[in-house]
Amino acid sequence: MSEHKYQDSVQLEQVIVDGMDISGHWNKMFVPRALTQFDISGLEQLRDIPGAESINNCYQCAKCVGSCPVEYVGSYGPRKIYRKLQIGTNLIEDDYLWLCTTCKNCVRVCPKEVNMGEIIPAAREKAVLGGFIPDEIQEMLQSVSEYGNPMGESARKRAKWTKPIKDSIKNLAKAEEGESVDVLWFVGDFYAYHGRGNDAALAMVNVFNRLGVDFGILGEAEKTDGDSQRLVGESGLFEDLANHNDALFEKFPHKDLVVNDPHAYNAIKKFYPGITGNTRNVTHYTQFLSSRLDELKALMTKSFDKKVTFHDPCYLGRHNDEYNAPRELINSIPGATFIEMPRHKEQSYCCGGGGGGMWLDGLVANYTSERLSTNRVREAVETGAEVLLVCCPYEVSRFEDAVKAVNAEGKLEVMDIVEVINACIPEG
Amino acid sequence: MSDNPILVIGGGPAGLAAAKGIADLGRKAVLVEKEEYLGGTPIKEKYAALTPDFRDAEEAMGEMIKAVTDDGNVEVITNSTVTSVEGSAGNMKVSVQNGGSGKTIDVSSVIVSTGFDHFDPGEETQVYGYYEYDDVITLTDAEKMLKEHKFVKPSSGEAPESVCFIQCVGSRDRQIGNQWCSKVCCGIASKDAMEIKQILPDAKVFVFYIDLRAYGCWEDDLYWKAQEEYKVNYIKGIVTEITKQGDKLIVKGEDTTMGRPMEIPMDVVVLSTGMEPSEGTKEMAGVFNLPLESHGYIGTIGGPLNTVETSVPGVFVAGASTGPADLEDSVSMGGNAAMKACAFAMKN
Ligand SMILES: Cc1cc2nc3c(=O)[nH]c(=O)nc-3n(C[C@H](O)[C@H](O)[C@H](O)COP(=O)(O)OP(=O)(O)OC[C@H]3O[C@@H](n4cnc5c(N)ncnc54)[C@H](O)[C@@H]3O)c2cc1C
Ligand code: SF4
Ligand code: SF4
Ligand code: SF4
Repeated sequence: MSEHKYQDSVQLEQVIVDGMDISGHWNKMFVPRALTQFDISGLEQLRDIPGAESINNCYQCAKCVGSCPVEYVGSYGPRKIYRKLQIGTNLIEDDYLWLCTTCKNCVRVCPKEVNMGEIIPAAREKAVLGGFIPDEIQEMLQSVSEYGNPMGESARKRAKWTKPIKDSIKNLAKAEEGESVDVLWFVGDFYAYHGRGNDAALAMVNVFNRLGVDFGILGEAEKTDGDSQRLVGESGLFEDLANHNDALFEKFPHKDLVVNDPHAYNAIKKFYPGITGNTRNVTHYTQFLSSRLDELKALMTKSFDKKVTFHDPCYLGRHNDEYNAPRELINSIPGATFIEMPRHKEQSYCCGGGGGGMWLDGLVANYTSERLSTNRVREAVETGAEVLLVCCPYEVSRFEDAVKAVNAEGKLEVMDIVEVINACIPEG
Repeated sequence: MSDNPILVIGGGPAGLAAAKGIADLGRKAVLVEKEEYLGGTPIKEKYAALTPDFRDAEEAMGEMIKAVTDDGNVEVITNSTVTSVEGSAGNMKVSVQNGGSGKTIDVSSVIVSTGFDHFDPGEETQVYGYYEYDDVITLTDAEKMLKEHKFVKPSSGEAPESVCFIQCVGSRDRQIGNQWCSKVCCGIASKDAMEIKQILPDAKVFVFYIDLRAYGCWEDDLYWKAQEEYKVNYIKGIVTEITKQGDKLIVKGEDTTMGRPMEIPMDVVVLSTGMEPSEGTKEMAGVFNLPLESHGYIGTIGGPLNTVETSVPGVFVAGASTGPADLEDSVSMGGNAAMKACAFAMKN
């Protein structure tokens, strides 16, 4: 018998023979090397799910794998998923389903239009219905349905961050229906609850005020935008959140709806209308501020003499084609030198936080050599930049952890663009 | 029976074969060519050697051109195109336009052989940087250098140590809208790889491919020959994008048989750009009211059993205006169209 007849590098997770548990290295010999059948039932099941049909069309060219951020730290990509589906994997019940960050880099390059942006949420919806949910995600969903935010923080504390500046902000949470503002500002979870998010939120308030913008926030009434919940397969919860938030948008007439979280931008712009029937004039804060660039430049008289680089958020860039607004802002920071990372704009790397990745670090760690954010921060450090600029609230905390992981503390700072803008505006 | 000449539009391999065929059958042909020279894309784009027999392209095409220009039955009108047609089957009046001046010719039947254009890699959804990096070139750029018996890094003029070909650029891609295989590029890349090795025996030459389509006898005439005699390396897995590091290009993608990502430094990258219907082909489809098939080439009737007849009586097509075609296909269709166009003239 040839020694290669059996695969010896793979162990089954659990093997019970005649009632005896021989899991672990004992079972090595039990996996034959030869593929004796192509069990494509997982492929059949997946392609039958509305939205996931395009998985069937992969012709194994491999363009996607070279673009997939997870592949750089592990082994992933639609091509590999497709091959697994051909040899018996049922993606719905497999951890592999949860490694995708829905960054859409593969969608950009795939010649067969295999669309992971649609396949993944559709497949996860099925997984959630069947109860195949990672614990971390289960907890996050629980928090959102109970408290309206994924952190599990009290809904009543959502506007706590405004305490020091109470007088310079209009909180509409308890206002009468019809109270109008020029700008309705959807603050988002991380700005509201996360320490570093609070810093950016306070900077945003000051910038609004210095620009003389008439704005208001939804305070305790606001709930998470729901995009991450949609992407982990909880479309029911997403609908509830969309209806809840949109009712508030309706309640307070406004000209612009400004968001700081690109995931919120994506949800409100592309997915709320299908649920609520309402289209909102939603802009990302980088877009809003770059539309007021002349006024902003006049205010930014303090110099920020640092080398900076910038990380394109997947949900602002690839999902919504906005690459210029943040760059316009960065290029008008007095004194700053802007260096692009090799992977930028369309080719940008992913921080790992999208598509529920923010709550999957535990599971993902089992399949990757390092976090995506760590890989990204390494790239930022290599440019020689002193500051990594971001404009997605997920990223400040992710990248600050990563800076510690690569021992770049003191060398690389992570800042929200609005923090730098605010730092350039002298008090007055 | 109509004694009027048969009009051939486009003087590439297909049109030349058609014009010569008509003349050999004893009838008059008028060959209208847009450029001031005959020979089509192999001449215009300065191909070096032709597959699969490695004959010098200029010499081989030169013979074909001479056979036509020497033949008293063929009137060649260069720098011209056809702008309109009146009448129908057997007696068509076509306007031939040459810059400002034009004339009308009565013809009995028509062969459209207006060929293809090369895909412009600037349209790629992949970031191959053709317009950004000097050392990213196309197959035709490579052909032009090889015709001069040289192969250098365009950025520095030095001999490259490593060269790779990326297959299927602008072909087989739904996002771009070109869903066809361009049929010749696997063979042409293999041929170019061999020519590079002839000039630079020490260069490392790689071909990154999805499926290597050296169909028919091109399998061993080109593919095996490149691998076995010229030591060209074939790697299954396509390149996703190209970046630059110092004076090297970095090709990034996946080696699919290893299942591992790759980031390989290269001196020169050759994009195997595919075919698209030429502007002239689209124009002639408009002038003669010829329906296009689903990919945008001129449609024929009769499926695989009648490759040159269109749904407009008396109008035939040949060559790459009907879809991706190599020289063998193009000249075979040219001959077939000549025969059918003559038969049509005799019956009408
Ligand atoms: C890089 C590359 C290398 C190749 N090398 C080889 C090879 O080595 N061997 C091989 O078998 N095949 C090769 N091919 C394929 C080969 O070039 C084609 O098969 C062949 O050129 C097709 O001939 P054609 O006459 O149909 O079209 P073309 O060669 O494109 O000729 C069309 C002619 O029509 C003219 N024309 C266009 N519009 C008008 C108009 N409106 N009015 C008048 N005239 C017009 C054009 O000017 C041109 O002269 C190669 C292809 C590529 C992409
Ligand atoms: S890019 Fe598309 S077709 Fe190519 S291997 Fe990936 S999923 Fe398949
Ligand atoms: S969407 Fe991003 S993470 Fe998901 S498979 Fe595609 S490239 Fe990889
Ligand atoms: S001939 Fe080869 S390179 Fe050209 S499109 Fe077909 S498979 Fe791709």
